[in-house]
Amino acid sequence: MDALLANLKEWLRDRKAHLDLFDETKTQHLDNPLYTLGGLVWLSWMIVIVSGILLMVWYIPTTTGAYRSIEHITYDIPFGWLVRGMHKYGADMLITVITLRIYRMYFAGEYKKPGELSWMILFAGLVLMMISGVTGYALIWNQRAFWAAKTILTVPTYYDEIPIIKQLGLGHAIAYIFLGGPALGQATLTRFLSIHFGISVVLVIAAEIFFYRTRRRRLNLSLFATAVVVVFLTFVSFERIAEMGRWANPNRTPLPILSDWYFLALYQVVKYMPPLWAGIAPALLIGYGMVVPFMDRTKETRPLERPFFFVVGLLALAYFIGFTLLILLNIAVISRDPPIIMTITLVVMVLAFVWEVVHRRRKARLAAHKPPAARPAAPRPGPAAQPGRAAS
Amino acid sequence: MVKLDRRGVLKALTALPVIGGVIAILSPLFRYLKPNYKPWAVDTTADDAAQGGPQVVGKTTALTKPWDYFYFNYVQKYPQYDPTGFKASNIPGVAVRLPKKVKLVNPQVGYVGFEGETDVVLFQRICPHLGCIFEFVPLWQNVTTGFGGFTPPAWEQHALMACPCHFSIYDPTYPGYPGNVISGPAPRGARLFHFKIQGENIVVDGAESGGLARSPGRRDPVEET
Repeated sequence: MDALLANLKEWLRDRKAHLDLFDETKTQHLDNPLYTLGGLVWLSWMIVIVSGILLMVWYIPTTTGAYRSIEHITYDIPFGWLVRGMHKYGADMLITVITLRIYRMYFAGEYKKPGELSWMILFAGLVLMMISGVTGYALIWNQRAFWAAKTILTVPTYYDEIPIIKQLGLGHAIAYIFLGGPALGQATLTRFLSIHFGISVVLVIAAEIFFYRTRRRRLNLSLFATAVVVVFLTFVSFERIAEMGRWANPNRTPLPILSDWYFLALYQVVKYMPPLWAGIAPALLIGYGMVVPFMDRTKETRPLERPFFFVVGLLALAYFIGFTLLILLNIAVISRDPPIIMTITLVVMVLAFVWEVVHRRRKARLAAHKPPAARPAAPRPGPAAQPGRAAS
Repeated sequence: MVKLDRRGVLKALTALPVIGGVIAILSPLFRYLKPNYKPWAVDTTADDAAQGGPQVVGKTTALTKPWDYFYFNYVQKYPQYDPTGFKASNIPGVAVRLPKKVKLVNPQVGYVGFEGETDVVLFQRICPHLGCIFEFVPLWQNVTTGFGGFTPPAWEQHALMACPCHFSIYDPTYPGYPGNVISGPAPRGARLFHFKIQGENIVVDGAESGGLARSPGRRDPVEET
């Protein structure tokens, strides 16, 4: 017991020493745009926080006042369009760069030892940013916000269909706590504002403690790159004034109705699945993200040297793009599509697995043919054990 | 590896009740988030059930021909955890005259919408899937073009009901199950109102519960009739 705890402590201490959240230790790669992503995460996050605080100067968090106050900010207040645009497009950029950074970590194998903890924190960060996104766009109290909040918070009520949890009534309790009652209303808006604000406050304190203790630079971008981002966001805010949508109407769901862009793929999946599974699938996805560093246990970081996880990553990317396109094209024949998608997934996964096994066998054969002197002195797992590992 | 010596076992044995006790002591604090519950019943949602009462929602004279329909709202009240207390909420509904008389019963939960047979039927327009408001679509072709590309089989090519969010399609005349879902992710057919016809008035006096706003988690679904 104590030995296990000591191991865990040692593991945590080591991974904490190697934490890298905003690419602040990868300064030697700064000529590669992929390694500016960490800095861009921090920069866009700060832009969002500052503009968010400025928005609160004028925002009225009531169901009757929210829409009008944001309209007022966007069209009447001097530079209101700029503050709102920075907040909206800054948030879009934050989600984009943190997603790209996570994909980079995945395909470049940066989540492997000692990067597990960084990966888990960033992945949880993406989830929190998406929650922040939902609760944030609900604050406009327009149709998109209202129906997104209502459908998302109806999902947990289906947890009450699971036999044992049913007795606890926990699914409805979760929905009620977030809604502030059994339906969407003023209490929901107030609670969403609290969550939206709270997530960033807590995370920014955590990030500051991290920077204080590691004494690292917060922003590893050149002044020029920073200026380009700010000018670009300003230009977009001016060119595309952030849209208002229509005032929330609980008696009418418009057709078509779409969520924010980063939820579109999930939205399409929800169409294809029974609602209980639609509640479980995102949890499984998050779960996969959290445990993938412990499943992919080879030391290889190059994608082609670990074919199975490479293909899983490609598949996730393909589905994100494919489902987004499907929903934008308004295609969802629920009786026809899911078997096709399941078949494609199964075939691709089986092929990826076969590729993995074949690849490991070939590597093992090559290693066996090598003269023994070429082997490193340190003991390492026998090559015969490796194909078995793929199964785990 | 896990080495279970005597000290480890004793530590674990004392830790479990301590953790449990702390959770038990702290759990009533959830009342801050869900204030209308008794201290030990944080998870129940029964107190929040919305209440309605008999309301005239329309007249049968508005439904003369088959497939005539109108929308209406049935108003209920439910508590909200903010200083305004109770809040009115609407259940949007649709009244349709069907070409032939049916028994208005939901066989999945046993909810009876109307005693006897009727050709005037009322459905709640809150989608039983995730709570969007679905529409009555008089032309089935509009379902195909607007709701994802579903083409109903020949015997169902008449007016349908369709949800804009996740494209659940409901058939108001489905044999033995009026309002059953014929395509899409909804786990069941459209919810019913309980109503009477008094002269030419359509009087709604109850609504099937479920989903948000009308969702007593563990209550019998037919209780409100």
